[in-house]
Amino acid sequence: MRLFPVLTLLLALAPAAQAGIDAALDRHVLPRTAAFAGATGALAATAEDDCTAAALRLEYQAAFDAWMGIAHLRLGPLEENGRALAIGFWPDKRGMVGDAVARLLAARDPAVGNPDDFAGVSVAARGLFALERLLYEPDLSDYGPDAYACVFSRAIARDLARMGTAIAREWSGGFAEAMRRPGKTGEAIFLNRREAAQALFTALVTGLEFNADQRLGRPMGSIDRPRPERAEARRSGRPLRNVILSLEALHELGQGLGDGAMPETDAAFATALETARELDDPLFADAGTPSGRLKLEILQQRIEAAADAARREIGPALGVSAGFNATDGD
Amino acid sequence: MTTRRAFLASLAASAVWPSASWAEAGSPAFLAAAREADGGYALFGLSERGADIFRIPLPDRGHAAAAHPSHPEAVAFARRPGNFALVIDCLRGRVAHRLTAPRGRHFYGHGVFIEGGALLVTTENEIETGRGLIGLWSRAEGYARVGEIASGGIGPHDLLALPGDLLAVANGGIRTHPDSGREKLNIDTMRPNLSYLTVSGGIAERVELAPDMRHASIRHLAAQDDLVAFAMQLQEPLAGVAVPLLGLHRRGAAPVLCQAGLADQLAMEGYAGSVAIEGGRVGITSPRGGRLQLFDLDGAHRQSFRRMDICGLATGPRGLVATDGLGGVLEVGERTLHPVTTAPRAWDNHLVRVPAI
Repeated sequence: MRLFPVLTLLLALAPAAQAGIDAALDRHVLPRTAAFAGATGALAATAEDDCTAAALRLEYQAAFDAWMGIAHLRLGPLEENGRALAIGFWPDKRGMVGDAVARLLAARDPAVGNPDDFAGVSVAARGLFALERLLYEPDLSDYGPDAYACVFSRAIARDLARMGTAIAREWSGGFAEAMRRPGKTGEAIFLNRREAAQALFTALVTGLEFNADQRLGRPMGSIDRPRPERAEARRSGRPLRNVILSLEALHELGQGLGDGAMPETDAAFATALETARELDDPLFADAGTPSGRLKLEILQQRIEAAADAARREIGPALGVSAGFNATDGD
Repeated sequence: MTTRRAFLASLAASAVWPSASWAEAGSPAFLAAAREADGGYALFGLSERGADIFRIPLPDRGHAAAAHPSHPEAVAFARRPGNFALVIDCLRGRVAHRLTAPRGRHFYGHGVFIEGGALLVTTENEIETGRGLIGLWSRAEGYARVGEIASGGIGPHDLLALPGDLLAVANGGIRTHPDSGREKLNIDTMRPNLSYLTVSGGIAERVELAPDMRHASIRHLAAQDDLVAFAMQLQEPLAGVAVPLLGLHRRGAAPVLCQAGLADQLAMEGYAGSVAIEGGRVGITSPRGGRLQLFDLDGAHRQSFRRMDICGLATGPRGLVATDGLGGVLEVGERTLHPVTTAPRAWDNHLVRVPAI
């Protein structure tokens, strides 16, 4: 029989991990979460003056741009109170956003008049995708300044700004520190540095897979049944823009984690981004044509190649790999 | 088919088996398999606080283990579609027997002892037909194959021994063929069920969910008194939709499906990996979403905890305990998920309770 003492030794951590965590936080997470707080704050400030669709669209686009900078950070502050879904409810397989928006409009739900009440409505009726309906859906977007829809839009903008501020504050006010000095902040979120590195690395790889499988995969559908109408944020003209901005942000995260020493991953990102920027199909509307689909497939493969490169290059340097059980599927 | 006589014979024969007990193996409260830092695999015996009691190398990644009710023996099952299982002598730290699935069968990842530990029963696939089987293995005869019975569905995965040697079987509904690995061959027609059966009497009750839940594969089970909890994994077109991942069932009654709020529900990513019941609460884990959700026994959602790659979940002497792919063992308190040990290894899917003697 073998008796072992309790193993409290941590896995010998690759020296790159601390530098990678610090760089990812300082060069990516903290500036990007601050930028999202700023962009949603500007959207809300505009909405205080004028909540009509024409007045809000520019700031809406900027806020969505900023969201693409952090949407992959599915840990800590974005996961509190279901915030990630309350900001970006997508994919929306059952059409819940349209239903929830229609329900509030039909009922003239008074929750839009009070921030606390509004924070309690369905996550499908909040955030960027609900606001997209109000600003871009032809049947809805011609509301006047005194309409219920205007108050609804303002409520969404305020709610986004509130969440943006909270996310930035929580990251800079403790969560980043809990990643830098795990186990020393009195919070058992990360037990050691390996776990902190694992969380950021998982965000990187999962974010890349989300672009390939969801942002591209959903409008591609199957060969027999392409579904371009499923493209993310197509009403506001953003499907390709979202992929490009997300790849840029993920590259930034990867560069932080890899701490500058990741030539293969850099090259793979560059190829994927170049492919995306050259794509002349901003709405993925050509997913139904053979040549259009082929181009999306190529982009999908290049994004997958970037994920593979990150797994080969960045993961081992950090001493981590993607989720053991999460990828088992049994 | 096996016979009642075979069981009685094996019961009698078990008296001559060496009578080592779990106490001699250090009285582990749990068994769990892990991938170690060097990439190898091992089965661990853990104390009620998650401390290592023994470590036995495994040749490959396992899925679940079955603990003998009294003797320090564990059966480690290969990941599906595996064709072998290892009976591990936890006292001597070696493989005592190797179970090979009969020709035309493969294991589906779980097994359990019944008849006081005389009989090991395993979930299996009859490859040619896709029919789910329960394989019967006699411990007294050196774990010889002594028969098989129908599982009551397709793709049986987890199974439980209830009082009276009644078996509860999670027939996941998904047909696979080893030639195509884990590829799902019947998603359009799948119809999972929870079946109750006995070795001698066959199916006693079969529970199917409503047709709109037919793409929710019933995979893992836990029981307390007369309550059986089943955890599900969603297949297309339900994947990515907020539908329940936990069901509660009492014999003869309609199942109660349990759901959290929309954001909490979607966070599980349609995938519950383990289920356990402890006192007045039942928990399910989702490694994909990094979530542990707790429900009341009437099905109401209590709370959610977050933890990366959390999957193993079992009820130990001190309450609910979870394990994760980062090497953590965590106690599930009323308000917190409290890490008790961490080690440089990745705990595999399941944490298995060793019966208290």
